[in-house]
Amino acid sequence: MAGHSDSSSSEKKSGEAMTDVPTFSAENLQNNMKVIYYSRTFMSITGGVIAGIFGFTGFVGFIFYFLVMTITSIGLIAKAKFSVHSYFDSWNRIILDGLMGGLMSFVLFWTFAYDIVHIF
Amino acid sequence: MGLGFIVGVFGVLILSHAAYSTIQYRGLLKIMEEEFSGPPMNVVLELLLGFVFCIWAALTVPGNFHSIHPDSEENRIVSLSANLDFMIFNHRAKAFPLEIEMKLKH
Repeated sequence: MAGHSDSSSSEKKSGEAMTDVPTFSAENLQNNMKVIYYSRTFMSITGGVIAGIFGFTGFVGFIFYFLVMTITSIGLIAKAKFSVHSYFDSWNRIILDGLMGGLMSFVLFWTFAYDIVHIF
Repeated sequence: MGLGFIVGVFGVLILSHAAYSTIQYRGLLKIMEEEFSGPPMNVVLELLLGFVFCIWAALTVPGNFHSIHPDSEENRIVSLSANLDFMIFNHRAKAFPLEIEMKLKH
């Protein structure tokens, strides 16, 4: 009864029953997304502080932000041991998620650090 | 988690020390009336070191990735939520004598 049925607390998503569709545990996917979000936010803040200390102004700072985000993405992919599909359902999640929210944090801490170091 | 946290705190301390050094450097430049073109080399090295520490902490502290395949090794044990609907109280333990009676007989 309980041993043979496929029900479990981790909610599963699946498509049509005709083809062999991949099911995955959405609860674990959510946990992985949370980990990515925390990592990206912390790296955005760190990148902002570094950009402020360096004294970047204007466009160069945004270039620096995308550089930091690329390094973070590479780090996250390395953390997933390069087999992204066993932890996420698509590449977009690990590369693009949290990019715009991180931009806000980056600009905030960039102006903050720049003000502290260069103006006051 | 503990080690990653300490490394992260260390990275933040290094970054704040680099900020303080840059503030002092700017004060020095004001006295000598020169333009600020970039932080000195040792500050750049400190920033790089702090950045590396922070990257390491950002990747280790938030937690591990869990596999999403339902048939992978670490997903084999599934547990129902601790919900009242699934709790069973009508089981064999009612055949045991009550705890109070056992203590009194002792």
